[in-house]
Amino acid sequence: MDRSRVNIAVGMFVILGIVALAYLSIQLGQVSFLGGRGYAVTVDFPSVGGLKAGSAVEIAGVEIGRVESIGLADYQARVTLRVHSGIKLQEDVIASIKTKGLIGEKYIRISPGGSEKIIQPNGRIREVEAPVDFEELLSKYIFGKV
Amino acid sequence: MFAHALVLAAALLLVAPGPGKVWAGAPTDQLRSQINRTIQILDDPELKKPGKSKDRRAAVRQVANDIFDFGETAKRSLARHWAARSQAERDEFVQLFADLLERSYISKIELYGGEKIRFVGEATDPDGAIVKTRLITKAETEIPIDYRMHLRGDKWLVYDVLIEGVSLISNYRTQFNKIITTSSYQELVKKMKSKQEEFIQEEKRTSQR
Repeated sequence: MDRSRVNIAVGMFVILGIVALAYLSIQLGQVSFLGGRGYAVTVDFPSVGGLKAGSAVEIAGVEIGRVESIGLADYQARVTLRVHSGIKLQEDVIASIKTKGLIGEKYIRISPGGSEKIIQPNGRIREVEAPVDFEELLSKYIFGKV
Repeated sequence: MFAHALVLAAALLLVAPGPGKVWAGAPTDQLRSQINRTIQILDDPELKKPGKSKDRRAAVRQVANDIFDFGETAKRSLARHWAARSQAERDEFVQLFADLLERSYISKIELYGGEKIRFVGEATDPDGAIVKTRLITKAETEIPIDYRMHLRGDKWLVYDVLIEGVSLISNYRTQFNKIITTSSYQELVKKMKSKQEEFIQEEKRTSQR
């Protein structure tokens, strides 16, 4: 009798532990269920160099969404963003891939535009700036001069 | 059967005329003809003579006016501050912005020394086109320069230039936004006017020498 009560208590603790672990991994991994909140917008970049699913999307340094997925379309990188539903993006916004600090992680910076047209859910950001590849630039200006 | 239908659909898509008299390759062709015009002007021995630099620059600016949509570039650079401007302010700003671009870029064109331009591709969608080019320097270094264009009437006009992937509009948008939010729009206009004033004075001094 006593033994089975101990067993139940231990079982409860184990289950509690597993639930806590699941919660933690969901929170830390920033996994979104059911497609997540907000709306999706796609952007095509010539190269994403280091950007990953889950990277931040920012306006003026404030996070307004995250990168949901990155795929290949016509040999370009097609990035799907999930933007918080309260944020309106004008049709002429520019999406640039920037680096936090000198060697930090990559994120997408959106510079707001002035157009009256607003990008609809599942719409597309047309104006992009690819990340500047410093290695390529360096090699170009070091080895370029023959 | 299904494959046949697909092929037919694709063929129809290719043959079907686009909006108006637009056909694939038009942005590249129009851009190429204007770039060739510019190179002709720059290579013109008559305009290379000393004392002719003003005429030469005026001729280049003429071509720039034909291919660039300065109004759109100015609007996009001012971004959300554009909506608050009156029509008179907008016209003034477009003029100041065109002067700024001339000052920073057209005056540099004097340094042109036989660099070549290669057209490497074009992508068109209903809202505009992007024409990809490479500037090949004398040291054989390739610098990617992309032009974003849109259709106005029957002409393709450039509204943004990306050098090494860095956008001209994005650069000015950040700067203008910073000046307007930290001081005011009037301050920005004052700054642009005084810069232009300085440039004109400088020009006078060099031409007197």
